[in-house]
Amino acid sequence: MGEKKDFQTRLEIEKEKLNHKEDKNKANRGLFFGNAFRLGTELVAAVAVGTIIGFILDNWFDTKPLFILIFFFVGFAAGILNVVRTAKEMQK
Amino acid sequence: MTQFKVYKIGPEIKFGNIDLSFTNSSLFMIISAAIICLFLYFSTKERKIIPGKLQLISEMLFNFIAKMISDTAGSKAKPYFPFIFSLFVFVLICNMVGMLPYSFTVTSHIIVTLIMALFIFFAVTVIGFLKHGFKYLSIFVPSGVPVVLLPLITVIEIISYLSRPVSLSVRLFANMMAGHTMLKVFGGFVISLGLLGGWLPLSFSVALTGLEILVAFLQAYVFAILTCIYLNDALNLHH
Repeated sequence: MGEKKDFQTRLEIEKEKLNHKEDKNKANRGLFFGNAFRLGTELVAAVAVGTIIGFILDNWFDTKPLFILIFFFVGFAAGILNVVRTAKEMQK
Repeated sequence: MTQFKVYKIGPEIKFGNIDLSFTNSSLFMIISAAIICLFLYFSTKERKIIPGKLQLISEMLFNFIAKMISDTAGSKAKPYFPFIFSLFVFVLICNMVGMLPYSFTVTSHIIVTLIMALFIFFAVTVIGFLKHGFKYLSIFVPSGVPVVLLPLITVIEIISYLSRPVSLSVRLFANMMAGHTMLKVFGGFVISLGLLGGWLPLSFSVALTGLEILVAFLQAYVFAILTCIYLNDALNLHH
């Protein structure tokens, strides 16, 4: 009889631990949600900055639309780099 | 939309060409700052060993930010705690005040968020140069890249660095404005569908209000944690 009671309490403790783990996961999910918002803007911002730099350079050297095209793609590459970095940070 | 309109309150104040008039935006910034100051003052006034409810909230807030800074930026970032704490609480309270009906959301204007982001950007850059001198420029030159690709990679890294303030400010502003616009659109549906069909959009807008409160908190959190990450890049080179 005593043994059974012992088992019962141990079961209860383990169950409690599991519940706590679930709570923690839920809290973390909220933070992941916040991180997910980051990815999109990270890409768009780099493309925008690249295009703006290209536009300024074009105005300086009067070479429309050469630099805008080049820096659009360079900006895109920078955006991808940003996204990969953010994703790496999130996995830590 | 009327909820995003900035209008002057009181007399017009001008210095040369700069318009410094008091607007509803400044009013709500002052209201948010006053809420923060009064709350923190009254909640920590008694300083009990066993904290009351209000004291517990402000202590949890303090611990939350302290943990966030030590997790992301390490112990070297301790001196910047006051700045990040005020930044997080200010953005959070501005977002939350904006959730009240008839109020004005300060953070739904890009000029406000962009100025905050640019300040962080310049501060981090200056801190980086002060700590490491010209070695700080090595963040633009990743190690282990072939010499042929180096110019291209450097340009990409510089654009990636310059895009930080843009992504930081656009994220906060776009989320706040999109959320409020969505609430307004669903509110409009309730009116136009009337008593018969208006219940569905009404229940949607109740759910969206909950989502907006979550987003208001998350955006403040993301704003603060990104500041920590940028600070970390400036304080600890190559980690």
